[in-house]
Amino acid sequence: MSLLILAQAAADSGVDKFVGAITNGLSLGAIYALLALGFVIIFKATQVISFAHGAVAALGAYLVAYFATVLNFPGGALGGPAWLQWTVSAVFAVLATAVVGLVLERVAIRPMIGEPIFSIAMVTIGLDIVIRTITNDFISTDPRPLGDPFGTNIWEAGPISMAYSEVATIIVTIVLVLAIAWFFRSRIGVAMRATAFDQEAAMAQGISVGRIFAIAWAIGAGLAAVAGIFSSVFPRASQGVSAETAFFAFRAFPAIILGGLDSVPGAVVGGFVIGLAESFAGKYMTWSGFGVGFSGIVPYLVMMLVLLVRPYGLFGTEEIRRV
Amino acid sequence: MKVSRKLLVLLFVLGLIAAACGGDDTAETTTAAPSDDGGTTETTAAMDDGDTTETTAAPSDDGGEDMAPPVVDVGIDLDAGTIKIGMLSDLTGAFGPLVTPIVAGHEAYWASVNANGGINGLQVELVIRDTVYDVTNHVTLYEELKDQVVAIGHSTGSPHTLAINEDLQSDGILAIPLTWYSGWTDPDINANLLPHGTPYCIEAMNMIEYITDVAKETGIANPTLAIASFPGDYGLDSMAGAKLAAEALGIEIVHDGSGTIIPGQDQLPVADAITGSGADLVWITANATFFGEVYGGAIASGFEALWSGAGPNWSPALLDSPLADALQRDYYGTFYLSPWGSDSEGMQELMAIMGDAPPTDFYGEGFVEAKIMHEALLKAYELGDMTQAGVTAAAKSLEGIDFGGMAPSETYVGEPNDIVQRESMVFRPDAALRAAGGTGTLMIEAAYTSPTAASFVFEGACFEL
Amino acid sequence: MRGRPHLYVSYESEQSLLPTWTQRVMVGLLVFLLVLIPLQGGIEIGDRLYQPVGFLGDNAWLKILSRVAIFGIGALGLNILTGLAGQVSLGHAFFMGIGAYTAAVLGGEVGKAHWGLGLPIWIWLPAAGLVAALVGMLVAPTAVKVRGLYLAIVTLGLVFIGEHLFRNLTSITGGSQSGRKFPSLDFRLWKEEEPFLAFTSDGPMWPVFNWLDWLFGPWINFPAEMSEEAKTYLALAALLVVVVVLAKNLQRTRIGRAFMALRDRDIAAEVMGVPDAKTKFEAFALSSFYAGIAGALLVAFIGRAIPEQFNLLLSVQFVVIVLIGGAGTVAGTLMGSVFVFVFPRLVQDFSGWLTETVESGGVIGSIADVFVSTGLDDPGLVSTLEGVSPGLNVSQLNVVIYGLLIIGFLIFEPLGLYGIWLRVRNYWKGWPFSY
Repeated sequence: MSLLILAQAAADSGVDKFVGAITNGLSLGAIYALLALGFVIIFKATQVISFAHGAVAALGAYLVAYFATVLNFPGGALGGPAWLQWTVSAVFAVLATAVVGLVLERVAIRPMIGEPIFSIAMVTIGLDIVIRTITNDFISTDPRPLGDPFGTNIWEAGPISMAYSEVATIIVTIVLVLAIAWFFRSRIGVAMRATAFDQEAAMAQGISVGRIFAIAWAIGAGLAAVAGIFSSVFPRASQGVSAETAFFAFRAFPAIILGGLDSVPGAVVGGFVIGLAESFAGKYMTWSGFGVGFSGIVPYLVMMLVLLVRPYGLFGTEEIRRV
Repeated sequence: MKVSRKLLVLLFVLGLIAAACGGDDTAETTTAAPSDDGGTTETTAAMDDGDTTETTAAPSDDGGEDMAPPVVDVGIDLDAGTIKIGMLSDLTGAFGPLVTPIVAGHEAYWASVNANGGINGLQVELVIRDTVYDVTNHVTLYEELKDQVVAIGHSTGSPHTLAINEDLQSDGILAIPLTWYSGWTDPDINANLLPHGTPYCIEAMNMIEYITDVAKETGIANPTLAIASFPGDYGLDSMAGAKLAAEALGIEIVHDGSGTIIPGQDQLPVADAITGSGADLVWITANATFFGEVYGGAIASGFEALWSGAGPNWSPALLDSPLADALQRDYYGTFYLSPWGSDSEGMQELMAIMGDAPPTDFYGEGFVEAKIMHEALLKAYELGDMTQAGVTAAAKSLEGIDFGGMAPSETYVGEPNDIVQRESMVFRPDAALRAAGGTGTLMIEAAYTSPTAASFVFEGACFEL
Repeated sequence: MRGRPHLYVSYESEQSLLPTWTQRVMVGLLVFLLVLIPLQGGIEIGDRLYQPVGFLGDNAWLKILSRVAIFGIGALGLNILTGLAGQVSLGHAFFMGIGAYTAAVLGGEVGKAHWGLGLPIWIWLPAAGLVAALVGMLVAPTAVKVRGLYLAIVTLGLVFIGEHLFRNLTSITGGSQSGRKFPSLDFRLWKEEEPFLAFTSDGPMWPVFNWLDWLFGPWINFPAEMSEEAKTYLALAALLVVVVVLAKNLQRTRIGRAFMALRDRDIAAEVMGVPDAKTKFEAFALSSFYAGIAGALLVAFIGRAIPEQFNLLLSVQFVVIVLIGGAGTVAGTLMGSVFVFVFPRLVQDFSGWLTETVESGGVIGSIADVFVSTGLDDPGLVSTLEGVSPGLNVSQLNVVIYGLLIIGFLIFEPLGLYGIWLRVRNYWKGWPFSY
């Protein structure tokens, strides 16, 4: 479907529009990929889709706004240029969010080890309600701009024109994806894969499953926070983090399913495919017969079509069914 | 053996139920008891005893004196000296961020009234319920409020208010709609409602004419217009006004994005459509979050035009965002109230009662609603009938409610087209004012009415719900 | 077999809906209580009126209980799909929407801006279920292909696609955030003006209840009037009872047992002759039928609804009901429905109490005051203010407590309320030798 649109798009319209659809799709896809990565890492360790992911992303973005614009900590203490101060504060806020993830796992998820997965999913819905409400109280009446250094600057090269923040989104995503890929080859990463495969067997091998859970939730929360940042800056949402930010993560669901729930490369590919599909639909599928807001459901349509052909997504592991 | 154990369980459960009921029963009787032996014979515990009938709204005929105790039924306890006002607010739903400061305005207003002796000695209590912007909750919570309050201080949302409107009319309860939907001007609909402020479609007419004039002054002879909005009563009512204004002014609408700003979706397609149209003027009806997304998307592709939008579009936070410079260049904002920090008498009063609260322009809305309710209750007291129906009747006879220059005065007697509000305050974003700790709104017109808006004749709503 | 409730002498008695007398008596009492709840009868002693279940005669509570009944019906549908057949669906809101708008088109007013044929309830209510069931059958093939969490997300996609359709089909739905009027619950034989049975207006007590007056008249005063809310509640409660019987009965039928076999071991079930595709087909159709009915009832109950009503949060609410209650059990599902709607009200009353306590001072009040803010300049974790406030305002506190309750319940008892009920029951079964 995407290919068809691509071909048609290239044929009948200007280069600028086409390039615009690609750049927008890539930056949107990068955010989806970050969110999807978080989902997948949590899923691989705990076999659960965290419905609290969006709330954690919003909390992370809020913490960035709070650390960078209100406290100016720890960036302000270090001094240096403004962009560096902001970056240090933002990194610190992301780490703080990872700690929140750690705490959530310890308090609410750990006691559920061995319980039916849908009961755990339900616990994450409870977490979502609690975190979202508290975050919205922090955010209060008005949206909170993140105070980021990207500004409204645009980087232009030939037909390509991208906001600095969009370039940063793509670069940070690539770096994080590489880091995660490396992580899965490290000792803890291998332990996580073992845990995902079989919790009991992993325990028997001396792997602390509890610790793996904690690490997975911390990484997931940190990734959510990074996605939260990039979904709350110019041009996507210059006004910053608001009550809407928490719902952004639901838009990444098609990405994780498309790629396969338990596949890290799948999450990345799924994120970019969905981002591009949505972007192209937004630019080209404007015929009124589709109805208002059609581009918003294109990701779900793409997801359903793919699932009919490949029931476990593009890269997901097929569940071996035994009697 | 087992059967008897089960019976034990049964008894236990029944005991629990009985205990629960008993507890609640006493709670209810304590609230009902004082009103039972109240000063007037008309007072009954209608809300608790199913078999007693509601008090009829008869004005006290023994009243030769001005301050005889009024007739009351639900929500007013003359012995305890309290008046209860219900609030159907969206505090944790889609409009929570907007409604929270409005509720804060109410709370501060009544706290100050109570501190100064209340309404002829009666202290006002707010019974606030969170509807989460859900029609089902709205209907259920209205049911809870109608048996304990004298009137509804505000009811959030147009479809929500319409869903309880028939009940309001049959129960004879007054409500102030917290929406500026033009349909509230219809006398058939507003029998129990007190609309206030400038309707969305009039606001659109005012502002489109205003920015058209600005564009013409800067040398654009035939400006073109692009419009986009939320779906629903708010967005489409405003869009209807925009189209009427464009027709009257003879300007072309090059992009009609009515209802295309859908919450929860990527707004870049909307921004693309606006930039693609190449319009000179843009009119947006959304909220600050989605306005920020559309506007940011548009200026990212280098689009320049005069932008304006409905009242709720604006948030001072936009001046803290990277969009601040562009907004100061492009944006003309509006509201029917004067901004926080302006020097009208009403605003000074509001600022005094709000104390240290963080500044936003929406406390004013709470202040206006509370003030209207205050006047209605005073009038009802004066007429000697503070039953639910009595308050409604008193409110519908109010004329010239004055807000100390903060908002245009409101009247509820007369032809719908004569009493509808047609003024808009026009402001420009100002980062310097924001930096000084205000809301960054620089008022340039206190009460602007465009010729189109002034001559518009309502024959129902601009947009039919 | 007195005193030995678990000894069954025939297959028939083991399979009967209510095998023991205790159960029959208890269910009978429960139904009796359900009927009594809205009647607001009172016992007059001296000059005080005592109402045994008086707080439930309160119209606001009746609205809440009506919602419990409507969502109970819908949740029993999801319970068939998730609890019995083991297919997790987040698409329940979509099927409710289909039912609601079928009802709106068939029963809506004629000649208004939106489509409406003005047909009576006995046509639009079953039709709402049937159309939803048909749509459910269209979705079923996906479920044959896709499993587990994948299915959950696919059905979640259904909700978004449904919202898109409802938003754009304005002549049926009234459009996003605007909505339309829906037919009322009144029972008409055909398109007459006067309803045959009015559920949505106050009126005299139904003659059906005369026997109550005859039976308890000397002791209890029953009012001669009946409120709109009481009638609506009774109509919905009656429907709920019918649906409960059907749902309970389903578990004993061939189809119901096929569902359970599929849930427990699908391949084994297939080997034993339970066709995978056909059974899932039936599960989706049945579940959607219930959802359609519940959707139609919900909008008729509100009178006016917007397309955004049928969103993901509604679906999640149903999943919460089924899982908090205890998946796979009818009683658990009903308990879940009570939890989801009654608890927020109790929490609201609790925070009202907290506010009063803090404001009135005293020992508890001053301890609570440390954490509770009573004004803009008084710091605290939570606030008695509803507007802009330091800390959480009362409504936010209510939502947070509700979320914490969900988490707490599941950590404490992953089998849901039904699990807690089992524990309590087993404790009393072994009492006084329970351990």
